[in-house]
Parts: sequence; structure tokens; C-alpha cells
Amino acid sequence: MSQRMRNALVDTTLVGSVVLLLVFFYAPITTLVAFSFTSSRVLTLPIEGFSLQWYGELFNKPDFLPAVLNSAAVSTISTLFATVLGTAGAVAWVRYRFRLQGVFRGLTFAPLLFPQLLLGVVMLLWFSVLGSWLGFSTGLVTVIIGHVVYITPFALVVVAVQVYGFDETLEDAARDAGASGWEVFREITFPLLWPGIFSAAIFSFLLSWGNFYVSYSLAGTARTLPIFVYSGIAVGSSPIYPALATVNLVPALLLVIVAEVLRRRALKRQASSIATS
Amino acid sequence: MASPIIDASGIVKDYGTARALHGVSLQIGTGEFVALVGPSGCGKTTLLKILAGFEEPTGGHLQIQGRDMRGVPAASRPTRMVFQKLALFPHKTVAENIGFPLKLQKVGKTEANGRIRAMLDLMHLKPDYLERYPAQLSGGEQQRVALARALVSQPGVLLLDEPMSALDAKLKKSLQAELKKLHRELGTSFVLVTHDLEEAMMLADRICVMRSGHVVQVGTPADIYYRPANMFVAGFIGETNFLPVTASAAGDGMAVVSPLVAVGKTTIASEHVSPSLSAKGTALLVRPETIRFVKGDAAPGEWVLDGHVEEYFIKGASTQYRVRVHGLDNAVILDLPGSIVLPAAVGEAVRIGFDPTQAFLLSE
Amino acid sequence: MRIERKSWNDPVFVATVAPLALVMVAFFLVPLLMTAVLTFQTTQYYRLVWTWDLKIWTEVFSKPHYWTIMMRTVAMALICVVLTVLIAFPAAYALATRLKTFKTQIQILIIFAFLTDAVLKTFGWILILDKNGVANWLLMHLGFPPEMLNLLFTPTGTMIGMVYNLVAYPMFTIYLSLVRIDRDLMLAAYDAGASRIRTFFEVTLPLSRPGLYSGAVLVFVLSLGAFLEPKVLGGGTSPLASELIRQSFETRVNWPLGAALTMVLITIGALMLAACAAFVLRRPSTGRRPA
Repeated sequence: MSQRMRNALVDTTLVGSVVLLLVFFYAPITTLVAFSFTSSRVLTLPIEGFSLQWYGELFNKPDFLPAVLNSAAVSTISTLFATVLGTAGAVAWVRYRFRLQGVFRGLTFAPLLFPQLLLGVVMLLWFSVLGSWLGFSTGLVTVIIGHVVYITPFALVVVAVQVYGFDETLEDAARDAGASGWEVFREITFPLLWPGIFSAAIFSFLLSWGNFYVSYSLAGTARTLPIFVYSGIAVGSSPIYPALATVNLVPALLLVIVAEVLRRRALKRQASSIATS
Repeated sequence: MASPIIDASGIVKDYGTARALHGVSLQIGTGEFVALVGPSGCGKTTLLKILAGFEEPTGGHLQIQGRDMRGVPAASRPTRMVFQKLALFPHKTVAENIGFPLKLQKVGKTEANGRIRAMLDLMHLKPDYLERYPAQLSGGEQQRVALARALVSQPGVLLLDEPMSALDAKLKKSLQAELKKLHRELGTSFVLVTHDLEEAMMLADRICVMRSGHVVQVGTPADIYYRPANMFVAGFIGETNFLPVTASAAGDGMAVVSPLVAVGKTTIASEHVSPSLSAKGTALLVRPETIRFVKGDAAPGEWVLDGHVEEYFIKGASTQYRVRVHGLDNAVILDLPGSIVLPAAVGEAVRIGFDPTQAFLLSE
Repeated sequence: MRIERKSWNDPVFVATVAPLALVMVAFFLVPLLMTAVLTFQTTQYYRLVWTWDLKIWTEVFSKPHYWTIMMRTVAMALICVVLTVLIAFPAAYALATRLKTFKTQIQILIIFAFLTDAVLKTFGWILILDKNGVANWLLMHLGFPPEMLNLLFTPTGTMIGMVYNLVAYPMFTIYLSLVRIDRDLMLAAYDAGASRIRTFFEVTLPLSRPGLYSGAVLVFVLSLGAFLEPKVLGGGTSPLASELIRQSFETRVNWPLGAALTMVLITIGALMLAACAAFVLRRPSTGRRPA
């Protein structure tokens, strides 16, 4: 085989692997979207007719909306905490050196290396013991705590990338131009870190919104959306779940795109201003 | 100097156990253009950062415009800095970048806009650049924006930290010319840090040569070039020749002899002797352009050395020869006027000569 | 990158670091220690009795049933590592070196799929793998016999789900280590006369090792906790450790047992992590661009 043909073969294989991976990733997702519009109750091909009835049925299911509200509350609050804590953590990781930093790093990164189920179980044990002493039982609050522990390391990593690319002479330049500590933060540091923080928030929100393991362990009798789905499909499949998946998809996709575009635009600005100077 | 705008005396800076500055003293006059020059690690950038207020000196006194600067943060000093990597804010437009110091001083919108426009004119930037982002400008344009931002609040001293080190040679030349013109027009004091002595000589009124945390020499470009304090300063300017000699006092000058030269003692007039001459490692600084090939008899008083041509380089306006002379560690460098006919070939035995009374006596 | 030294006497610094540190200590480190402590307790009539007893550990070590399941879990995790790395590497490599035009879009698509609700995605796989599902339907229409695949409620079904849910992790880590390799190193290898394949094995692969190992160990550790996939796609036919742990909590209400099994699993993961870290740290990786 000639060198050129071999190169072409390698290129095709590589590009093909990405295409196959995307097919793999989106096979269940597109299947769900397709089945959400079926008119039949049975989820098999071929899809016999188009209908939106399962969307109606989904919204009429009595425990659906409470689960949505629970999920919304949990995700919003955990995102807020995870983003703030993750941002502070990222700055401490990248820019600061201090005593016990190794311990701090290990402690703030370890949850990422933990199987979620075990994270949930370990926290469940603690909350149960604590609950038996202090007289509370697990519920949405413990779910939120669990999500913060699980998600903060992710947020930290996303923000850390932005902090790492940050050029501190910009802060010097602002100080030199007459800015006070607070003005430096407001005018320079925060706007430049914002894309990373924003991405981290969106990442956190979606991780929390879709989280099953931690919620399942710590929710007690409360139900978030993934628990709602899990207990539903454990009983039997129904087209309302594909409908739910589809409803879930659209706002999430928009959020991801917005975050990514913002982050990239900021990175590009930073990169090119460094490259040409 | 009647009233120096910057008066630094005995500035010491330690980083842990390492001493970066060993008691540096320097006065800079109002409206003066001073360059701090030296190899990397000589402390020139540290000194600039101390002037700007980014570093606190470990010891010594610093006054700017007659005010003691101890504990005064960078923001409150009458100095503005142009950073090596420019440090233009990537998320702010050109107008916002230039106007940033005015915004912090709460200057009114109309006045601020006027001053931003004036800066734009001064820097020869087009008005439609105002809404662009730094990443959309060329390297030279970014340079001008950085200068505009530093000058817009009319600082007493402009500090420049190797701002042209990343530019290509042609752009560098045109910006250097512009910087000099700008300095003449504004009358602001400029302090430029550079490792390029040629750049310093072109731009500065006075040059401060530094080496491992000490000031080696402060003087006008002519002083530095024609009357270097020692071999370090002379060697820093560019390739040159040092001929080891022994010197002794003779009248109002110095009598020198070289074991390599047959002709005896020559007296060097005092204006050709370094004021800081010491006994250790005395040598004659012989500039490459003052040496010639000797064909036939030597001129009266001329010192002649025998050697052979090691290599030559055609540089256009001049042709450089390197001649290996027995007894000297380094090849002797000659800069001859450029000519289509080469005076000697590689390997050829040659005699080179120069007038020792026109050389400069210095020491290590 | 300028580094600032901070002292614990600096109140602003403490305010930055302390909240996160406290959250992690109170809700991660202490629970972990608590779990270890619980393994030495016993239960009586479904209630926890505080003692200091090795009963649970003798039970755990004496019942082969637990160890069969642990071994199966580790085996599944190892297979999952091999499969995810084999899938992730070429894709990450292609993304890092080819595909300049659609790079952003592909990255967004991957991140988005990664962040979509895992329970719903797993449910999607039921619809594909079912006897009457999408996969068999497509195969039938391509001329294969009907109901050719029977993957739902088998260990293979579990594995498909695990690979699906975890393959993004090595994608990320390998991609990050590949983009950090200085392209000049590869050019230098070509220049020295190496073929593209040779260059890959001599330069690219060794330099991407940190990403490869960290991705692999991440998949290994995370797949030790796989619960959704064996339950939903495996149909509980061959339970993994997570199922055992949940049972000891839910069915048997035996917290010390659940805690002990959790600790066993965490120990396996930690050992793997330590081994991998030692391996990566032993070999210097110098393929980074100079800062």
C-alpha cells in the first residue's frame, strides 16, 4: 500500500471513530426523542403514528410536577453553592500556595474520584447517624448537601482552567492605572473569570439536574426528576419517559451552547492578546 | 540636577536570602529620559517595579516628586507603567482601555472622551479603532494603545518595561523614533528598561548600566560609548577588542606598554583614561573600526600585531575580519569599510595596526 | 502564572478557603471516617448497637458469596476500562489532531451527551437493546434474522451501559494530554525519518500516558460503583457490588455490613489509584510546551 493511501486510511479511521462515538452517544438520546412522538403505548419500531399525547399524559401525572419543582430547587441551590465554593477553591488551587495545600487539594478533589453511589451511601450513613442524634431525617436538604459535595470538584476544575489562563499583569496594570483592590476585582478579575464561572454554573446545574445516585441515596421520601424516572421505569416502560427526556433536552442544549460560546470567546481574546503582544 | 523627580538612594531588595539590588542610587530629572540597561538578572526590572510600587524595597529611600514613597501603593503614585506584555485588558475596547485610568479618577464623560481622542491623535491611531478589542489590533497598534493608556492621566513619570522586545526589527525602529518624539513633545520623564544598549543609546538622555544588582555606570550615551567605566560596559555595547597592557602614571596621563607589541611605551592622555581605573586587569579598548591592515611600513607611533585571518563576514556597509593573534585569547575584530575587493583571504598571514593614543584605557 | 503565598492568619484568605474545606470535612471526610467506624458496630432487631466488634469483618471475610460479587465487579470494571480506553483514544486523538473545522461543535455535542440525565439515557438503551428494540429492528431490515441480539438483561447489556456512561471521562483526560504535547516533537520525529505510525508509538503515545492512565483509573474507580446499569440493563441477573451494598441497607437493614462492603470497595479503588499514581509519577513526562 502506498504511503498516501495509508495516510488516507488512517485519517478516515480517525474521523470515523469520532463519528461512531457520536452515533453511540446519541443513539439512546435520539431513540428517546423519536419515541416521544409515538401514538402507540408500546415502545417498539416501527413508530405507527405521530402524536403529542404522551406529553399531555406526562404533565397530568400527579407526581411529575412536584418532582420537577424539587429538582429545580435542588439544582438551583446546589449550583449556587458549588459555583461559589468551586471558584474560591479554583483560585486557591492555582494561584495560592499555603500550608496544608496538599490536604486541601486532596479533600476538594477526592469526591470526583468517588463512585457516586458510594459517595451517596457514605453520606447517607453519616446523615442517618447524625439524624438519629439530632432528630432529623434525610430529605431535600441532605440531597442539596450531597450535590454540593459531588459537584463542587467539577465546578472547581472548570473554573481552574480559566484561572490558569489568567494573566496577572492585567491586575498590575489596573492597579498601576489607579484601581483599588475592589476596583481591580470588579473591573478586571471578575469579568475575565466570568466565562469560566458561568460555564461552571451551567455544568453544575446540569450535573445536579440529571443526578440520580446521590439523590437516590439521600432523598428519603422526597423525589427529584431522575428518581421519578427510575421508579417509573422499574415498574414498566411508558412513552411518557421519552417525552420527559425530550422536554429535558431543549433548555439543556441551549445552556450548554451559550456557556461554551462564551467561554471560547473569552479564551480566544485572552490567547490572541498574549500571542500578539 | 536642580530638582530630581525621582530620587532613589541606597535601594536594597532581597528575595528571601538572595539580594537582587545592593544599594542602588539614582536621580532622574524632570523631563529626563533615562534608560536602565543590563543583562537579564541585573536588577533593572526589579528597580522599575520598585519605582512603580509593585515591589517594596527592603532598604533605602525613594522619593518621587519630593514625596517619600514608603507604603504608597502603585495606584497612588505619579508613575504609570507600560508593561512588557502590554497587559491590555482583553475584555475592554480600545476606548475603555485608554479611558480606564480616567474612569477610576471619576473624570466626567465628556472630558474623558476628549482626552481619549487626544491620545488617539497623539498616537496616530484611527478614530474607528476606539470600539475595537485589543485582539483585533496589530502588535504595533497594541503598543500605541498601551502607551496611550499609560499617558492619558498625565503621569509625572512614564515607566517602560522592555515594551518593544517582542516586536520585529522594522516595527521596533519606527516605534523607537516615535517614542523619542513623544518624549520631546510631552516633557514627561521616561524611564525605560531594556537589555538592548543600542536602543538605550538611541533614545535616552542618560543611561544607567547595571550588573548583578549594582549600578556600574551612569552617563550620557556618549559617555557610555566613548568613556566606558570598565570592560563590562565596553563589552556590553557590542563586539570590541581589549588588549592587555600594563599602565603606570606619567605626567597628566598614563604610560602603557604591551608585551605583544615591539614598539615601546606610549602615553595615553587623561581624557582617554577611564575615571574608575584600577590596577587589576588593565587593558586598552580598541574599537574594531580603528584598526587597519598594515601593508608596507607602519605609521609613526602605530602599534602593530602579527596574525592570520580566521574568518571574514561581509556586512554590506562594512566588512568584518577576525584575526587570530598569537598571545591573545580572542580573535581581534576589524571593521573595514565595505569593498568589493577583499583585502585578505582566510588563512592569510596579516599585520594589523592601530593608533594607541586614540584607544581608551580601562580595567576590569 | 504568578503564585501568591498565603498565610492562615490572613482573614481574606481564610474566608476564601475555609467554607469549601469545612464542607468537604463535614460532609465527605467525616462521613468516610464514620463509615469506617460503623463497620465495627453490630445490629440487633434491625437497630444499630454501638459496640466495638469484629463480627462484621469476620462475616465479610468468611462468606465467599460477597467475594464472588466483588471479583465480578472488579472484572467488569477492568473490561470497562479496556473498552472505554479503546473507544476514547482514537476519538480523542482525532479531535486533538484532525477535525479542526467542527471541533467546537463536536465538543459541545459530547459534553451535552455527558450531562444528560443518566437514568433517561439508560432507559433509552432499554428501548434499543430490547428483544423488540431498535437494534434488532435495524438488523432485521438489513437482512439479518429477526431477534438476532438478545442483550437486554445480560452482563453484555450492563457493560454497554457502563461503557456508555463512562467513556466521556477518558475522552476528556486523553484529549487534554494530547493537546498539551508540543507539535514540534512530532515534527521532529517525522524529520528524523520516523513514519507516522512509528511517530505515534514513539512520541505521541508515551507522552499521552498521563491522560491515558488518569482516564483509565477514573473509569475503573467509577465503574466499581455502577448500580443503574446492572439494575436496569442487566436486569439484576448478575448483581455487582453496588447491588449488594444497597441490599444490605434496604432489605437487610444491616448498616455495619453495608459500611464494611463499602469500605472494601473504596479500598480496592484506592489501591488502584495509588498504584496508578505511583506508575505515572515514576515516569517523567516532559512533552509539555515550555511555559
